[in-house]
Amino acid sequence: MKKSFQIDLFDFLVKNDIENYVGVPDSTLKHFISRALEKKKIIITTREEEAIGIASGMSMSGSNSVVFMQNAGFANSISTITSLTELYEIPMIFLIGWRGYLKNDAPEHLKIGKIQPDLLKIIELPSKVLSEKNWKKQCIWALKKIKNHQPCALVIKREFYD
Amino acid sequence: MIRKEAMGLILKKIKSEPIISANGFISRDLFELKEKNSNFYMIGSMGLSSSIGLGVALKNPKKKIYVFDGDGNILMNLGSLTTIGTLKPKNLIHVIFDNGSHESTGGQPTAANQIDLSKIAKSLNYKVYQVKNKIQIENFYKKINSITGPIMLLVKIDKSDIVSKRIDITPPQIKNRFIKSLQN
Repeated sequence: MKKSFQIDLFDFLVKNDIENYVGVPDSTLKHFISRALEKKKIIITTREEEAIGIASGMSMSGSNSVVFMQNAGFANSISTITSLTELYEIPMIFLIGWRGYLKNDAPEHLKIGKIQPDLLKIIELPSKVLSEKNWKKQCIWALKKIKNHQPCALVIKREFYD
Repeated sequence: MIRKEAMGLILKKIKSEPIISANGFISRDLFELKEKNSNFYMIGSMGLSSSIGLGVALKNPKKKIYVFDGDGNILMNLGSLTTIGTLKPKNLIHVIFDNGSHESTGGQPTAANQIDLSKIAKSLNYKVYQVKNKIQIENFYKKINSITGPIMLLVKIDKSDIVSKRIDITPPQIKNRFIKSLQN
């Protein structure tokens, strides 16, 4: 997703009362994260589970969060998502950069990238893949989910290999 | 002093302040000693009570927020101390009940006795207080209001085989009443 779209995505979420951006940086999401840094609305954590914990505390205090991470970090977090986010029904939007979407991505991303859609399905976390065309519609879907106290995920594909 | 005794002494000083408690016997002791709506019993996600507490503390700066943690729990999420030490919530009181063991899973040892948690926490901008008996807990509470957080209260305790009852409230109920309590 190009820089301008990532900036628009961030600004749209802020406009819709997502106050906190907590997570671990990912190159697929770098423009989104840079925007969050620029707007001073970000907490960069040491691991993804930590970000989920912080977002949980904020969510229960009435302040909504996006938790951003790479799909490798999402895989790290599966137990936390099932035993905290889903078990307690704590709303938050996961924003996941999807490495290993391309078959010629770096080798460390291939195996986990291949099963990324299955991981989301297995843990029953509702998700949508964002594109430059549909991102606004998918964001509206995610905002509605958290309004109904349901966590969900938005995924951005890594469509180039540099 | 065992955990339940130490926790009981600290709970005497706590009224309705929110407490986020680590999974395992720590949450079970809290449930048995002082059940209240502003307790968030974290029954899974080991290691994360301090992270949840950080999120609550940042969004509720006028309330004192307690985390009841264990040595095994914090060693699983040492990174959390870095984030807390960077964001410096003045209202966070991070209590660590340290028995040098994973008591909930059968008493296996942790590394807590072989390292210095207080030094780690101090270097990460915590104000650290170590206590191991009633008098020291009383002394800590005499000065607590003059200390700017984040505070770490390291409570050295003995292992014990007393097991408190399980929490019989569903996780969504725990969450919903916790949310309501924060609104007061």
